[in-house]
Amino acid sequence: MRLGKLFFLTTFFGVASMWSQNKQLLYDFYEIPQSLMVNPGVKTSEKWHTGIPVLSGLYFQAATSGVTVNDLFANDGVDFTTKVRERLIEDMSKRDDFSTTSQIELFNVGFRGKNRPDDYYSFGVYGETDIIAYWPKDLAILAFEGNGGDNIGRSFDLSDLNLRGEMVNVFHFGVNRKMSNDLTIGARAKIYSSIFQFQSIKNSGSFTTTQGQNNIYANTINADMKLQTSGVQEIIDILDEDTSSTQRDLTSLFTRRVLLGGNLGLGFDAGFTYHLNPQTTITGSALDVGFIYNSKDIKNYTLRGSATNEGIDVILPEDINDLNNDLWQELIDEIEESVPFDDNDTSSYISFRPVKVYGSIRYDFGLAETSNKDCGCAINTESGQNGNLYRNSVGGQLFMMKRPRGVQAALTGFYQKRLGRTLSLKTTYTVDKYSLSNIGLGLNLQAGPVNFYILGDNLLGYRNVADSHYASLQFGFNIISWNDN
Amino acid sequence: MAAMLILSCSEEQDFDQFDDLSVTPTVASSIFYLESDEEFINSVSAVNTFYAQTFNFDAFNEQFVAERLLEGTISYELENTTSKRLNITIEFLDEGGNILDVESLSIDPAPAQTETLEVAYGPGGKSLDILTNTSSFRVTGNNLGDATSISSEPEPKIIVRSAAEFLFRLK
Repeated sequence: MRLGKLFFLTTFFGVASMWSQNKQLLYDFYEIPQSLMVNPGVKTSEKWHTGIPVLSGLYFQAATSGVTVNDLFANDGVDFTTKVRERLIEDMSKRDDFSTTSQIELFNVGFRGKNRPDDYYSFGVYGETDIIAYWPKDLAILAFEGNGGDNIGRSFDLSDLNLRGEMVNVFHFGVNRKMSNDLTIGARAKIYSSIFQFQSIKNSGSFTTTQGQNNIYANTINADMKLQTSGVQEIIDILDEDTSSTQRDLTSLFTRRVLLGGNLGLGFDAGFTYHLNPQTTITGSALDVGFIYNSKDIKNYTLRGSATNEGIDVILPEDINDLNNDLWQELIDEIEESVPFDDNDTSSYISFRPVKVYGSIRYDFGLAETSNKDCGCAINTESGQNGNLYRNSVGGQLFMMKRPRGVQAALTGFYQKRLGRTLSLKTTYTVDKYSLSNIGLGLNLQAGPVNFYILGDNLLGYRNVADSHYASLQFGFNIISWNDN
Repeated sequence: MAAMLILSCSEEQDFDQFDDLSVTPTVASSIFYLESDEEFINSVSAVNTFYAQTFNFDAFNEQFVAERLLEGTISYELENTTSKRLNITIEFLDEGGNILDVESLSIDPAPAQTETLEVAYGPGGKSLDILTNTSSFRVTGNNLGDATSISSEPEPKIIVRSAAEFLFRLK
């Protein structure tokens, strides 16, 4: 019972803490060095920057496209089972997903090339956890209602089971180059050091109970299901041992895998910024175009085959000499033979990173002043176009992300206000599958060389956090040196 | 924004409600199917019993099932197109071979309507202990008529169908 509660709450808070990857506040907020991580071709003004280790980029973002914590756990006097049935089982669809993405930047450093001042190099390491599980609607109904009663004749879709997750450490190096006063491009190479990965994304089949051909009911299963895991079994084994060395063994395992000792992969980011005219800018980027080759600590599970069961079958006179009285076990063996469950598959597999694409258009207005020595404008002022500091920017952004069930998109409108060179504010309104009322606010503060930023999403949700479909928070500290040449 | 974060609030939540969650699916499955043609019944009916077989059936006494069984029904259907009155007896036996319960169904010669019997278990019905202790069934078919006549129905036979529909408590 206790385990059940733990499982349910863990799963549900997974739902509630659904981390989306859209960083609409950070995107094109070029005063913040971490904006390079969402567009390697963003405008850069720094001479160099260094993130304060572990504090340069902490990213927490949460959302749910379906039920909220409040929907189920509000102390409202409604029977809990009724709430689960109506709001979870009946209301949520197989398109609703629960996911979690978190990123912690271990370090992030950037510097401008001495011999090539138009180049800005950046490198660093960050850890990322990304898990997504779609709501397995039909399987949930099967567990909640069963195959009997009104569900006779209903086909339960086994492809509703669709999940994917990984924890990965990313080593990256990027180059940002100002090609001209109008165009800046950038690219970032990434090495992925996987800590664990699992995916069950190409399932198909069904389970149906119908009127039998001979007997009253026929239970039919057609299954082609697979769960692939890498790096998971060793963790489970250590936890199962539960000895005094468990914590040490886990730390050792994680350390090894974080430092390229696990499954490895490659990827890249690319992006650009292009000024259509002195006040209008378009940008675009593609992130995490890459893969991980999973060959170590592999354990895959498959359930493949088809079977129909109408119970024990005796037809006379054919079966009169069959004196076997273990017909029930024979039936079970027959089904297991027809739909074998295999947990001994250790074959390697490739997992693809979730590709993200951003695009934006920005219009700047409210000219404040021309460049000064603290903005790195020597890099950006040659034509007098881009060094101008505009007090205001307004624009739109598009975000798309590849997910197991297709592309997930978000549309953002934003307004940015710069108060001198020390303070910049950005507010966003985002529409996506999780929320139609997501208003975010970002603040970037430059106090001498110290840079602090904080970006928060769906601020209206803070009126009742438990009822929020979406919330995010990202903040960090950097030390920045501006160009002085 | 910091103030907003600090001043954020939430309606009162009661996570102990989870303890009240009731998950009780209804599971439906056929149990056994017996079919015998009239020719065979005639050929072995010297002692009236044309079929007697005990077979293992552990579906209900599997620990996972036995602990979660709440209530349910076992349905039987008898179809007879032979020329004789027939009786089918199903005995529920425990591991020691002791009889826990008996169901007996008789059906008239053709043309006879399908005989159905629904036996409820749990509250208002028979004891669930019968099922949770059942380890095997003994199925016996008796010919209550003659051993020579042949029905004019096409492919005359006796058919016994059975299925269970039970409510389980998963949580």
